Amino acid sequence: MTYEEGIFYVVAGMTVIGALGVVVARNVVHSALFLILALVAVAGLFLLLSAEFLAIVQVLIYGGAVTILILFAMMLTRVRDVPQALDGPQRPFAAMAAAAFLSVTILAVVGTDWEALGATEKINVIPIEALGDVLFRNWAVPFELASLVLIVALIGAIVLARGEEGE
Amino acid sequence: MGMDDAWLLPAVPAAAFAALLLFGKYLPRKGDWLAIGAIAASFALFIPVLADLLDEVGREGFAGVVSGTDWVEFDTFNLRLGFMVDQLAIVMLAVVTFVSTLIEIYSVGYMKGDPRYGWFFTAMTLFVTAMITLVLADNLLLLYVAWEGVGFCSYLLIGFWHERRSAAEAAKKAFITTRIGDVGLLIGIILLWREAGTFSIREIIEFAQDGGYSAEYLTTAVLFVFAGAVGKSAQFPLHVWLPDAMEGPTPVSALIHAATMVVAGVYLVARMMPLFVVADPVALDVVTAIGLTTVMLSATMAIVATDIKRVVAYSTMNSLGLMMVALGAHSVTAALFYLFVHGFFKALLFMGAGSVIHGTERQEVWELGGLARKMPLTALAFAVGTLAMIGIFPFSGFWAKDEIVNVAADELAWIVVAFLVFSIFLTAVYMTRLYLLVFTGRPRDDHAHEHAHEAPPVMSLPVLVLAALAVIAGFWAFDQVGRALGFPGGIGEFVFLDEAQEFAFPVVAAISSSLAAVGGMAFAYALWFGEAEQARQLGERFRPLYKLWKNRYYFDDAYQWAINNLVLVGGNVIAWFDRNVVNDTGVDGSAGLAVFSGFQMKFSQTGRLPNYALAIVMGVIILAIVFLAVRV
Amino acid sequence: MIPIQHFLVLSSILFSLGIYGVLARRSAVLILMSVELMLQAVSINFIAFAVYLAPEEFTGLIFAIFVITVAAAEVGLALAIVLRIYRNKATANVDEVDIMKW
Repeated sequence: MTYEEGIFYVVAGMTVIGALGVVVARNVVHSALFLILALVAVAGLFLLLSAEFLAIVQVLIYGGAVTILILFAMMLTRVRDVPQALDGPQRPFAAMAAAAFLSVTILAVVGTDWEALGATEKINVIPIEALGDVLFRNWAVPFELASLVLIVALIGAIVLARGEEGE
Repeated sequence: MGMDDAWLLPAVPAAAFAALLLFGKYLPRKGDWLAIGAIAASFALFIPVLADLLDEVGREGFAGVVSGTDWVEFDTFNLRLGFMVDQLAIVMLAVVTFVSTLIEIYSVGYMKGDPRYGWFFTAMTLFVTAMITLVLADNLLLLYVAWEGVGFCSYLLIGFWHERRSAAEAAKKAFITTRIGDVGLLIGIILLWREAGTFSIREIIEFAQDGGYSAEYLTTAVLFVFAGAVGKSAQFPLHVWLPDAMEGPTPVSALIHAATMVVAGVYLVARMMPLFVVADPVALDVVTAIGLTTVMLSATMAIVATDIKRVVAYSTMNSLGLMMVALGAHSVTAALFYLFVHGFFKALLFMGAGSVIHGTERQEVWELGGLARKMPLTALAFAVGTLAMIGIFPFSGFWAKDEIVNVAADELAWIVVAFLVFSIFLTAVYMTRLYLLVFTGRPRDDHAHEHAHEAPPVMSLPVLVLAALAVIAGFWAFDQVGRALGFPGGIGEFVFLDEAQEFAFPVVAAISSSLAAVGGMAFAYALWFGEAEQARQLGERFRPLYKLWKNRYYFDDAYQWAINNLVLVGGNVIAWFDRNVVNDTGVDGSAGLAVFSGFQMKFSQTGRLPNYALAIVMGVIILAIVFLAVRV
Repeated sequence: MIPIQHFLVLSSILFSLGIYGVLARRSAVLILMSVELMLQAVSINFIAFAVYLAPEEFTGLIFAIFVITVAAAEVGLALAIVLRIYRNKATANVDEVDIMKW
């Protein structure tokens, strides 16, 4: 086991624990905290994959903005921490479906000959300058469209959340 | 401008029709000048085409000029907008364009003040378009389209005054009756195409002459084609629609139901004559028999008919039958010659009758009488038409009818000739009777008589032009006349099947037909002049015969019985099947099943998001499994 | 020397846990959090494929960026909708909102 693998297992373990915590925690606020753990761990995975830019974005947007937003929403909707009410009646089916999905995907991952598809042995380092170059050269139009989507979402969210006049 | 530009002839009225249909309402005088102008332009364009043909016609092996364009081409299925000009087409074109022009002018007077004045000219223009296309078509498919086009216009114009129930019924009757023949024509066209692989008339004829069809097959096909001609040309047993078609305005009767559309059947058979010649002789025997039957039926029915237009309609059937007999003797010359002069004198008769109706607003001959003094011009014109129809020397009908008797005597059994001569006698009887009852004697309806007045010049001028032609058109039979006009000779050397026909004038035939005609006139004069007392007595004496004729041989009753007891009963069975099995069980049943199952299944929709999400995930998993299984 | 399978299995686990959360939870906010987990799994996949399979192209990375962008928009909108429903129905539990039916 190389030290890289060691780091991977540590970060992967944190991610799985965080995710598990999100879906099984008996307290919604705990869930949110677990989510932060999972998101930051995923940022670590990104670093491991040599995607430093994405790791930074991940921490900024997810670890910061999104979790804060979710906590706000919890506060506003006053989701009471009544343990027995957190899970719906179809939980067993949910577990079965998740397990089925997991087995199918793992089967697919194991059953695929990645070498034949051109997978390399090691992680290839991607320079951040090259990424920026491509993003603003070849993907400029989708990038601008993404900004547009954000603007629309922003306006939409305000319109929806503000409510009607006199409410 | 030559024969290659023949497409302009139908194109000009077609454009006028489109303009009238779209903007007719906004044009001054509702656009009648546009309709007349377009048709007159068609006639004017016809003249250079004719001149070009006359230049070419002497050339060795000349067989018409084909122009046009392929529209859609599949393997052996070629939709073609093609036009062919040859002698046959030229003779028809002369009649169609010239008579239509005159009748359109006449209509200005006749239709004056009608609430649908503009629509009348629009429909007439469409008719002329379709008719010229029919005449010029170089392939059977285009011919069929035009064929249905003229039938449709006939329907529109018979039912022109569709507020009158009888007119609407007559239009329906004409359309459905001719449709029976049209289906036959379509079957015939398909049969001819199936073996030859082409719709081109010329190629089909060459194919047949090279022995491409077996004799039985070709005979079947041409008899189906003939069925179309039977329907359109009002031959027995599909003749019942023509007398009723007189419900339309009189110019329509003159143009469509006398001069042009009804002779389309004759034209079709003449066009296809090489096929009839190659086919089993039975085919031509059928043509002769049908034609002769029509002649005898119509001539007898006309004697007792009392509506002035109906008598002329029966005389049209009579003439059409004569043309069919001429074709049965495979003489295209005789048939086309008769067609040519018939176009003039029959239009003349109808327009004369129209002037009478216009002047008196009466149609029953027993309410007319003594009009010769009130309407001298009309009486004169009608007399010319009558004499031409009867076939008195030297009117045009005499030469044309003689030609038919000649070829019949040469080619057909003596019994046919005997019947023909007898029919000439009958024709003389009923035409003389009509003239006597309408124009001579004592006025039977004083009010109508006082009211009567000569037609306005816009109506009487075309009538007089036609009267002049009805007198002189027959002289085309002579070679000298033909040459003087620029033709290679008389009509026999212009329109012929295999080889030019010399002008022949057997004295026996001329004398016997003239004797029959004069005898008929004398007979009619004796019976109907004055108070027509003798005629009434004769009618009483031969009561059964009178009733048989008066009831038109009970054809209409027989058809009505067949429709009531066979068609409608069968239709009821099918309607029951349609209503109960197809509709209630098939259509409503499956709809009901969908409604019922939908009602039952809607309860599986809980409306809860988690259930839907679970279903989506399940679907994704199943798809993934299927994908993996298929890939491996 | 981490093989690509490691990352793919990890993302599978993450996605399955997200599915479980989406299906089992009642609160709309918790469901949204689970959806975030699923999106994270997708991002990991994209980046792993990019660096292992096609290092000279950056399509996977670019897509990960777009995923994050769209996810941010989605969270904002979805939470606004949740607020709205809460205001109208006095609940944020999805199984109590069952008007999507006959």
